[in-house]
Amino acid sequence: MSRTRPVNCIIPPYILEKLLDSEDREERQAALDTLLVTARLRGERAIRASFSGAAAPGVGRRTVFDCEEDEFLANAVLARTEDGPESADASVNRAFDALGLTRDFYKEVFERNSIDGRGMRLDGYVHFGFQVKNAFWDGRQMLFGDGDGKEFSDLTGSLDVIAHELTHGVTDHTSGFEYHNQSGALNESISDVFGSLVKQWSLKQSAEEADWLIGADVYTPGIGGDALRSMKNPGHAFNNPKFGKDPQPDRMSKFVHLPDTWQGDNGAVHYNSGIPNKAFFLTAVRIGGFAWEAAGSIWYESLKASGPEDDFQDFATTTFQKAGELFTAGSHEQSAVLSAWREVEVPVKGVPVGVARVRSFAVDGNGGAGRMDGSAALAKQVSALNDKVETLAKDVAALKGAR
Amino acid sequence: MKVALRTYGGLAAVLDPRRPPQVLDTDALPEAAAAELARLLAAAGSMPEEDTDGRARDAMSYTITAEDGDRVTVLEQSDAAMTPAFAALLTWLRKHFAQR
Repeated sequence: MSRTRPVNCIIPPYILEKLLDSEDREERQAALDTLLVTARLRGERAIRASFSGAAAPGVGRRTVFDCEEDEFLANAVLARTEDGPESADASVNRAFDALGLTRDFYKEVFERNSIDGRGMRLDGYVHFGFQVKNAFWDGRQMLFGDGDGKEFSDLTGSLDVIAHELTHGVTDHTSGFEYHNQSGALNESISDVFGSLVKQWSLKQSAEEADWLIGADVYTPGIGGDALRSMKNPGHAFNNPKFGKDPQPDRMSKFVHLPDTWQGDNGAVHYNSGIPNKAFFLTAVRIGGFAWEAAGSIWYESLKASGPEDDFQDFATTTFQKAGELFTAGSHEQSAVLSAWREVEVPVKGVPVGVARVRSFAVDGNGGAGRMDGSAALAKQVSALNDKVETLAKDVAALKGAR
Repeated sequence: MKVALRTYGGLAAVLDPRRPPQVLDTDALPEAAAAELARLLAAAGSMPEEDTDGRARDAMSYTITAEDGDRVTVLEQSDAAMTPAFAALLTWLRKHFAQR
């Protein structure tokens, strides 16, 4: 049986290490060769960096400023630097730590050097404005409001929110998803995906253990158990008398249409992100284990391969292709990707007919349970075909004998 | 004069339809406060808006509407690009509404 050779240059180290245990001798050798080349390149980079007089590459150095409730960043005062002491202000330290965890996540998991991949500085501004109920990425740095204590508490209190905002910077430096309509919803979803993954990675949680919530630590501090968004159950993150019910859709048939204006949330980007969010959750749970490994790698490589105007179907197709490149065509991981997008009613282009039929997963609305193993299904089909061939061969032999 | 503040967008943009405008009537304000608000409105209305480069994500936008008889003034700006005069007006309104 022919196999698709993975594209080694984008395979994460943990997958290469797994391939070292492969029964396929060629696969083992290819993985070993790639690991050796990668180790050599790393060594060369380390040696170059140690040369005296050479320009030190950027490493995402952190600086946190205090806006003291002002909106103008030029008036902010320096509060903590990469090499400086801790601040007496807990908001400053929380922002500093979260910037560091997000930077380390991208470095250790995807070998990405800060937001732009080239060591961009990480500047955070706390106490932005008076009781601002928001945190945002302004295209160059991150700003944190203190919240009003009702709708939001201090926004530095949520690692997933901070990683969400910084990931907007990563998206700007990769796909550049335009911030409106479906590409804007993908932009939002990517920030939720990697925001949640940073939290899961910091807590060493598996896909099954994670809460898949965004903003649970800071949203409506007076109401327990809710969050701004749920990737596991879009549309069910909150339900209270003041703000009503979470309006996020979890599938295309519930897609929200709003005008591409401020008032229309740029074409409902914070609504429809629920659809790709659910697709990522389903993929991660069906693959199992740590979501930042297989599912995260597929999404990260797809983000880098996407374009500014890509829509849901384009991105779904890219994730399917990347899963095939990273884990081989027809793999369990690729099947998980395909079934996830199907469940949220986003069609994937270029799926071979046989794969489309065989690689099916039972839909249980919750990911893991009820999954049909793709390899087992294929083996069953091959076995059935073998039986038919054998029967035909016997018939042919019988016909020859009868002559 | 009636002044209304409406907020859009941000991380919690889905709450926009559930965020009614916050409204005040200057007749109900102490004279000094009403005069201060009128001064801030005039300053914000006369300062040209800042250009935005469109790279901000999850920034909030604000619409401040002032109705004085038949005269209606509408000011719209965003966290991503805000004039000092608009910021001063916005902060004044936020502090006022927070006290209620």
